[in-house]
Order: sequence, then structure tokens, then C-alpha cells
Amino acid sequence: MLEKIGKSLMNIKLLRKIFNWGRAWSLWSVHLETGCCGPEDMARACARFDTERFGTLPFPTLRECDLIFVTGFVTKKMAKRLKLAYEQMPEPKYVIAIGHCSISGGLWWDSYSVVQGVDEILPVDVYVPGCPPRPEAWIQGIRMLQEKIAKEGLKK
Amino acid sequence: MSIMKLSMGPQHPITGHFRFILDVDGDLVLKLEPDIGYTHRGIEKLAEKRTYLQNLPLIERVNSYCDSVGTMLGYLEAIEELMGLEVPERAKYLRVIAAELNRIASHLYAACLFSVATGLETMLMWPINDRELILDLLEKLTGQRITYTYPTIGGVRFDMSEGFKEEALKRLDYLEKRTEDYYKMLLWNHTFQIRAKNVGILKPSDAIRLGIVGPNLRASGVKADVRKDEPYEVYDRFDFSIPTGKNGDSYDRLEVRFKEVEQSINILRQAIKDIPKGPIKKWAPPIVPKGEVYTRVEAARGEFGYYIVADGTMKPYRLKMSPPSFRNLIALPYLCRNVPLADVPVIYISLDLIPMDVDR
Amino acid sequence: MTSMEEKVVESIKTRFPEDIIEAKVQRKNRVSISVRSDKIYDVGLFLRDELGFNHITSVSGVDYIDTKEFEVIYNVWAIDGKVLVSLRTKIPRDNPTLKSLIKVWEGAFYHERETWEMFGIKFEGHPNLSLLLLPEDWDGPPPLRKDFLLPDTPQEKLEEKIKRAGGQ
Repeated sequence: MLEKIGKSLMNIKLLRKIFNWGRAWSLWSVHLETGCCGPEDMARACARFDTERFGTLPFPTLRECDLIFVTGFVTKKMAKRLKLAYEQMPEPKYVIAIGHCSISGGLWWDSYSVVQGVDEILPVDVYVPGCPPRPEAWIQGIRMLQEKIAKEGLKK
Repeated sequence: MSIMKLSMGPQHPITGHFRFILDVDGDLVLKLEPDIGYTHRGIEKLAEKRTYLQNLPLIERVNSYCDSVGTMLGYLEAIEELMGLEVPERAKYLRVIAAELNRIASHLYAACLFSVATGLETMLMWPINDRELILDLLEKLTGQRITYTYPTIGGVRFDMSEGFKEEALKRLDYLEKRTEDYYKMLLWNHTFQIRAKNVGILKPSDAIRLGIVGPNLRASGVKADVRKDEPYEVYDRFDFSIPTGKNGDSYDRLEVRFKEVEQSINILRQAIKDIPKGPIKKWAPPIVPKGEVYTRVEAARGEFGYYIVADGTMKPYRLKMSPPSFRNLIALPYLCRNVPLADVPVIYISLDLIPMDVDR
Repeated sequence: MTSMEEKVVESIKTRFPEDIIEAKVQRKNRVSISVRSDKIYDVGLFLRDELGFNHITSVSGVDYIDTKEFEVIYNVWAIDGKVLVSLRTKIPRDNPTLKSLIKVWEGAFYHERETWEMFGIKFEGHPNLSLLLLPEDWDGPPPLRKDFLLPDTPQEKLEEKIKRAGGQ
């Protein structure tokens, strides 16, 4: 019964907008580094670039996160763990692929142990190219995801 | 009492890309078995397929974290030794400047991680902000934040831009003042000392026996530094000392890193003052003559060894890297025996292992 | 006065006159010793105890596919003497076994394990020869052998990739 009411309330445009706004500005990210963009993950979360301004906060517990940054290349060994981590996150969940390596394999296109693009295992929402992308680019990726979330569930 | 297997990582705030398999009895860790390979890309194999020049960005990404110049220098030393190529003076100085700036950035990063492991959040924000200042300088020099590909075969790619010297000296002065704050904030902090002192003691004899390198070896009291033992580039012209620790515990390992930052500032000032005028790059042929060479350089985490077998073509026949973190890895299971579980992150972070460096 | 490098070469030649294939000074701080594979343990012990080579630097293999041989190289640094010795030996490619030297240099533990993984060289007496860096379900040949080939073209064509991702 309650679910039904909730669903019908979500059909109201204004409420949906408020709901999306709340979700877009509290994207907590998983602390799982897969490749060399890891230090930039720290740089963007810390003092100078501070993505907490945009509501993105690295958080240790998977169960309370909604965003996963795939930081760089994903090896075949890591791919299983990445998928496992993704499956543990509650819905709705988003993926941002950071760096050339996670988009297409990048520099490791002929390597025997690197997955050629993370979209083989996870559904990716935003791609951020660069090797590694600057923290500003990370922020742009977050902003693009927020724009995407803001349009969710709304009919044109 | 029963022994339980516990798995830590790879999704864990401390372990990064590692997984530890721990045998725990209550809160006591009996045995630690590192499970590595989560970032293994097979660089040694890929390098056999690419030319010497194409290998530069590949090799840099062994440790693109914070020490890419230090990592690359060994490879360039090896190739230049095989070719018999003498690099121009100015290029040598520029390489030293970039490498030392990188070393500072890397040690500051290590301090950040250490303070996260001990739960001191302020000390996470301070050095990472100061690291940005160093990265700004490097960006001014090389055009990139962390992956520079700055040194190349026969020299460096760019010359210093105008105003770099003044800017660098200004920031080094600031950083020197700032290190005092770090001491007050972290090293002389009683809470921190309780966490780090007498935790993970590595005796000098054990450190040598296990083949530990870099600041971890020096923290145990062994005076070994490639910059002094086998001076490469122009390190023999600078006046600097090798800081060593007394006890070889986690605290000493961090203190040695801070003292090394001071020494790096010292080297940088001399290098900026003495840098001669001249060309920055020499033309190098694409083919490397036949031969074998083993070179060592002192990267931020310790001695980086390169073993290259060249067969007279444009591609290396065999390229073996011996990165410092891979050699320090053995200290982790050795130190994590019969310690409380809460000490495992401190010991791990104090060794400053970089998973990408370990796995290659 | 003889230098440290020459002293090492001389003493190793007098101690093992028949087992040393070649011992020479490569350059300053570098000595290369090539030895018969069944004597590598004794030579290693002698280097550590008598000449002070105590700091293991790397263990690497080289695949000489033309002569059907593997070369195993132990690079060991002497902290006091400041010399690096490359102790090398050749073993046949079809039966690559060698006595493990971790009793001599304990730090060689992970190096030997990696060499086993990457070349398939069995180190007799090594307590734990299991996969270290490769994925758990690895079933191919050891990757650093020369007959393990990498793809020459990208593993998936770009058009297929775009199609799978739902683009045009």
C-alpha cells in the first residue's frame, strides 16, 4: 500500500524533482581503487579540490554508497572483486569510469591481464578521459552525473 | 580458542589494492599472507613488444602514483649506459630537480596515508595540500600533474620556464617552515607516538637479510643510499646527509621520511643555484647496441633496479624491474606475526608499499 | 692495491676453479659470475659468508629460445663492499629446475616465486610455489616465455565495442 502511494507521489513532477535533487547532491563514493588514478581520487577528495562541496564523499562502507569510481585499469583479478562490490551497493547506483584505461584498456590494450574497458563488467554512466584526469575533470564528471540524475524519471 | 581466517581488502580504506589473509586468534594476528596481483599489468612482457622510446610512458606507470621521475631514471640510466651516451649537464640537473620534487611529493603522500591509518584526519589534509604546491611546481616544469614522462633518452623534454627558480625557492622556504608544523602535529603528538612507537620493529640484521631497501632500511639504522653509494646523474656534487633511524619501528620509518624531505629541500636549493646553461637534450639513436646492464637508482621508496638485455634491435629482449615495494613486501608477513589486529594497518602503511609498484 | 671487484673475481676463481664458467669485472661496482647450475648453492653460500654479499636485489630469468635455455640471474649487492654481483646460471628449457637459494638469501622468497610464475622455472626447496601476480584462474603458459605471444591488434574491435555500448 505504502509503496503504491510512494510510486504515485513520484509521478508528481515537483516531488520527483525534489527527490532527484536530494539524490544528486549526496553521492557517496566507494573506497575501492583499481588502478593508478588512485592518488587523484585522494587529491580530489582532500583540501584543495574538495568534492564534498558537491556532496561526493568517499565512504568506507559499501552498503551506504551510491557511486563507484573505477579509477584506472581493471585487471582480471580485480574485475571479480569490483563486480562483487558493485552488487553489494544498494539501488540506485552509478558508475563513473576514470581514465583511458578504464574506458578502453588504454595503454594496456594488448596486456594479458587487463580488462579491455570496464563497461564489459559494469554499466557505466559517465566516462572521464585522461591519464590520469585532473581533479577538475573528476568534478566535471560528478556534475555530469548530477545532471543525469536530475532528469531521471521525468517525461519530456 | 580457535584460529579464524580473516580477509582484509581489496575494498578496504587502508589496504588499497592488496588483500591480506590473516590468521587471527581473537584479536591477535598469528600470520599474515599478502595476496597481491590486483594491479598486475604485465609491463615486463609488454615492454618486449614496444621500442625503447615507447616504453617510457609504460615504465613511468609502474609507480605513477607520485614517483614517476625516480622510476624512469633507472631505465634511462640503463639505456644510456648501453649506448655510451653522455647526457648534457643541464639535463642532468633538471632530472635531479624533478626527481627530488617527486620524492618530496611522495613522502608527503606517505605521511597522509600514515595519518589516515592512525585516525588523525587533520594531518591528512595538511600534507596533501602542500603536496599540491609541489605538484604545481612540477606542472610548471613538465606540463602534467602526476604522469610527466619528463626525462627522455638523452636528456629531458622541456627546459625550465621563466620564473620557475624564484617560485621553487619560495615554495621550498614555505615547505621547510611547514615541516616544523608536521613535527608538532604528528611526530611529537603523544597519541601518535603511542600508536607508532615500538610497533613493527625491524632489526638491522633482519632488514639486510630480507633485502629491505630505501627509507625502511635506513630507519633500521643501515646507512645505504644509492645516491651516495653509486652516485648517478650529478648527486656526487651535492652536499647532503643520509638520515637514519635508531629503533627501526614504524615511528622511525616515518621520521626518516620527514628528514629526507629536509635533505631533498637541501639538494634542490643547491641544484637550482648551480644549474649550468646549455642544451637539455642530445639526439639518441633508436637502436640500442647489444649488451646487458644492471642499474640502480634511489627512487622515493628505495632502490629501483633495472636489468636490461639488449639484442641490438629497437626493442629490449628482456626488461626486468626490481621495484622497491616488491622488495619491501617480504617485511610485511615478517613483522605481522603475533601483533594485535589494530597494528596491522600501521605496520603496512609505515612500510609505504605501493601496490602498483609491487605488481607491475 | 687490487680493487674490491678484482678481489671477488680472484677469490671465486681460486675457490671454485672447475665450476666457474666465467667470472669477470663488467665495470666499476659490477661483477658477473657465471656458474654451473648444480653448484649455484655452494657459490651463493660462499659469496654470502666469505665475501659479504648479503643484500639480495633481484632474481630474474631470461628466455633464450634460440639455444633452448633459460638463464637465471641473482643480483646481489654487498652493503659494505659496495659491489653488485650477478650470479648467473643456464638451465635447459625443457626441464627447468634449480636449487632454491632462499636458504642463502631469505629475501629471494618472492623473487623466486615470481620467476617460477613468469617462466615456469621450478625452484627445488621453495616452500610456496603458487600463483603470485597472475589471476587465480590462469591456465595459459608462463607469460614471460618468448613463445607466449601477445595480440597484435586490439582484443575487441572498436566498432563492436561501440555497438555493445549501445551507440552508433
